[in-house]
Amino acid sequence: MWQRIKEIYAYREMLKNLVSKELRARYKGSILGFFWTFFNPLLMLIVYSFVFSFVMRSGIKNYAMFLFVALLPWNYLSSSILQGAASLVQNASLIKKVYFPREVLPLSVVLANLINYLLSLLILMPALMLFKIRLTWALLAFPLVLLVETVLVASLTLLVSVGNVYFRDLEHITGVFMTAWFFLTPVVYSADTVPPNAKKFFSLNPAAHIIEAYRDIFYEGMWPDWKALLYVGLGCLILFWLSLLAFQRWQKDIAEEI
Amino acid sequence: MVQEISNEIAIEVKDVWKKFRLYHEKTYSLKERIIFWGRSKAEDFWALKGINLTIPKGSTVGLIGRNGSGKSTLLKIISRILYPTRGEVKINGRVSTLLELGAGFHPDFTGRENIFLNASILGLSRKEIKERLDDIIAFSELGDFIDNPVRNYSSGMYMRLGFAVAVHVDPEILLIDEVLAVGDLAFQEKCLAKIKELQKKGTTIILVTHSPKQIQDLCDLAVWLDKGEMKMQGSAIEVAEAYARYVSGKER
Ligand SMILES: Nc1ncnc2c1ncn2[C@@H]1O[C@H](COP(=O)(O)OP(=O)(O)OP(=O)(O)O)[C@@H](O)[C@H]1O
Ligand SMILES: [Mg+2]
Repeated sequence: MWQRIKEIYAYREMLKNLVSKELRARYKGSILGFFWTFFNPLLMLIVYSFVFSFVMRSGIKNYAMFLFVALLPWNYLSSSILQGAASLVQNASLIKKVYFPREVLPLSVVLANLINYLLSLLILMPALMLFKIRLTWALLAFPLVLLVETVLVASLTLLVSVGNVYFRDLEHITGVFMTAWFFLTPVVYSADTVPPNAKKFFSLNPAAHIIEAYRDIFYEGMWPDWKALLYVGLGCLILFWLSLLAFQRWQKDIAEEI
Repeated sequence: MVQEISNEIAIEVKDVWKKFRLYHEKTYSLKERIIFWGRSKAEDFWALKGINLTIPKGSTVGLIGRNGSGKSTLLKIISRILYPTRGEVKINGRVSTLLELGAGFHPDFTGRENIFLNASILGLSRKEIKERLDDIIAFSELGDFIDNPVRNYSSGMYMRLGFAVAVHVDPEILLIDEVLAVGDLAFQEKCLAKIKELQKKGTTIILVTHSPKQIQDLCDLAVWLDKGEMKMQGSAIEVAEAYARYVSGKER
């Protein structure tokens, strides 16, 4: 296993190149080019602020910000998994002709989306200040929360990408699943509104804790729930390990199945 | 599966079998698999049947045989693109495979950018690529075209760039599958010269070809595959002659 991780590390240059290819291809041919990276969250922000300040008033203070701080990391999770699902199948010709650790392909999708998420923070931070939300030292917890989320995202992306080689409709099933997961995670609503008897069920959802942690540090200005974060972090690490093992086992046949 | 072995041997193929499943109608979806549980028709096809091969370091081995005899399959197993159904392969050194040139080129990137992309897919670090960049560009003879997007290249230019990158990886083991016939005559000569240079450097080479003459010219040893089995193995000259006799016998 360590051998494998070392090998993936040895291919980091490939990983880097694929990520920059991914980022460049996404905005290729548009006049604004790279500014689209900012444009998308900015537009989201403007629309939400308008809708939730004038059209649909919410009981939650600064609802647009409440939503925004959760939606950005959720998008990171969901677009990584959805794009990652196709990452091996799309690169079939490469897989059939060149050896490289196949993990590099799904991981490059995760990294590209991670970078996008980080760039969208350049919109988020000024927006938070504009809405007069107090930024506190709790922001220092951000890298840790991001790390936990990334481990979760990487695990799921690895699993879905290799599964999709064998079952091509997994991509669509994943799409449906992600929608359901979205509404079962407190992104558009607050975790406090979950009825007490459903709390136990919700606490099994790792994304719920991660999203809550983001909301704590950006919106509430308080430290995240360390205990929950620790449990989720450990769980995600175990999941990551299992995903790497599963990937390694299932990737053996992909060059002929693809 | 791939382990380090004794220093004298570059590649050891031990009793390798490879089975492909041939589906009449491949069911790719989970839905169909559940509906047609256990009814999916598949035939087993053995593309390689108990291949044993020991290749000493620094030697050049020719792989010859009819279409469909399993040459490319064996090469892919050695390069870890495919995994054997049974048996094992041991490798000593960095492998570079020339299956199809320019696999992984991005059409919108320039030749230069594609060198970085392609070489990194072959496992080089940025520093290693930079060190080789000038040699690669010089070898490809693309001149000013190197800064044009590769979608503007002719197919020969495309392959030249692919070949240039692949041979400059400085592999200890080079696997070549019928790609020497690319480019114009002058470039073919250059490829052969480069292969001879690599041979002098001590690179271990496996070469798939349909030409007994190329085997005699370039190889020390040769292996003749027939329907997935090893029909003959020995010195390049003997195998090439036997194969040439077999082919002309068929024609008559
Ligand atoms: N992915 C695959 N799925 C099913 N069968 C395969 C697959 N790849 C190869 N085969 C079969 O295995 C056999 C050996 O194929 P291979 O490509 O190794 O032949 P080859 O010796 O390289 O032939 P050629 O001289 O035409 O290149 C063929 O009968 C082919 O149909
Ligand atoms: Mg072949």
